[in-house]
Amino acid sequence: MPMRILIVDDSRIMRNIVKNTLLSLKYPADVFTEAADGEEAFSILEKSEISLLLLDWNMPNLNGLELVKRLRSLEKFQNLPIIMVTSEAAKYNIIEAVKAGVTDYLVKPVNEKSLQEKIRNALEGTNV
Amino acid sequence: MNIRYITPFIEATQNAFLELLGSKPEALTPFLVRREEVLDWDISGVIGIAGEARGVVVLSFPRGLAQEITTILTGQMKTSVDDDVIDTVGELVNIIAGNAKRGLEEFKLMISLPSIVQGDSHQIGWPSGSVPIVGIPFTTPQGHFNLSVGLENIITV
Repeated sequence: MPMRILIVDDSRIMRNIVKNTLLSLKYPADVFTEAADGEEAFSILEKSEISLLLLDWNMPNLNGLELVKRLRSLEKFQNLPIIMVTSEAAKYNIIEAVKAGVTDYLVKPVNEKSLQEKIRNALEGTNV
Repeated sequence: MNIRYITPFIEATQNAFLELLGSKPEALTPFLVRREEVLDWDISGVIGIAGEARGVVVLSFPRGLAQEITTILTGQMKTSVDDDVIDTVGELVNIIAGNAKRGLEEFKLMISLPSIVQGDSHQIGWPSGSVPIVGIPFTTPQGHFNLSVGLENIITV
């Protein structure tokens, strides 16, 4: 399966920072798709083959946590690797996200090393 | 002045600037903000806090510094307050408020989406009541900015 990474954040600046970080790690430019909220992300996920979701928490319309719960309730998305990339740094937030079904959790601001490590771990065992 | 729980906000601000912009702003002496005060800033990002304490976090910049930070983050020269500058200020206050929760773990807090207030010497509508609003001035080689925090039951003076 070719790699496709969906970056979901209501901040265009933050989507670009994540994308540029991955570009500097030699990810090809054509693997990225972007969405500005959970609803837009869900609609993309329904239509496209996405191999990894990098998902913000606090967003309008459908937030990241609600999207995770919706995705994990559907068989098609049970195994989709989801990394929550959020400013929410409290332990109780991390626990809530893990209970909802995220694969991993990264607190903003992102740094290159942790993003690379989280992605590598999340994709381990998948056919990407 | 006995100010509790200001440190997580100072650390979150310094860490956000260090990670995103490569330099750590210096925090100057905190002060009590007067509610009627008209801010000497051009753009502010505002986050509401709810849960086991109600409050607000406001990050305020002069226009030039907000544009300069956005120029660094986007790689595109910013000469006016456009959507990218607004987005940058909103995302910075979001990161600061979210990261500060790490140092306030004994309270379960929820943060709102950021709002932006713009305009020369604009005013912020602070929460009513006796909650003190603490201002923390920061300085960078490019200029000054300010973080104001008011949290019911948490920040006391």
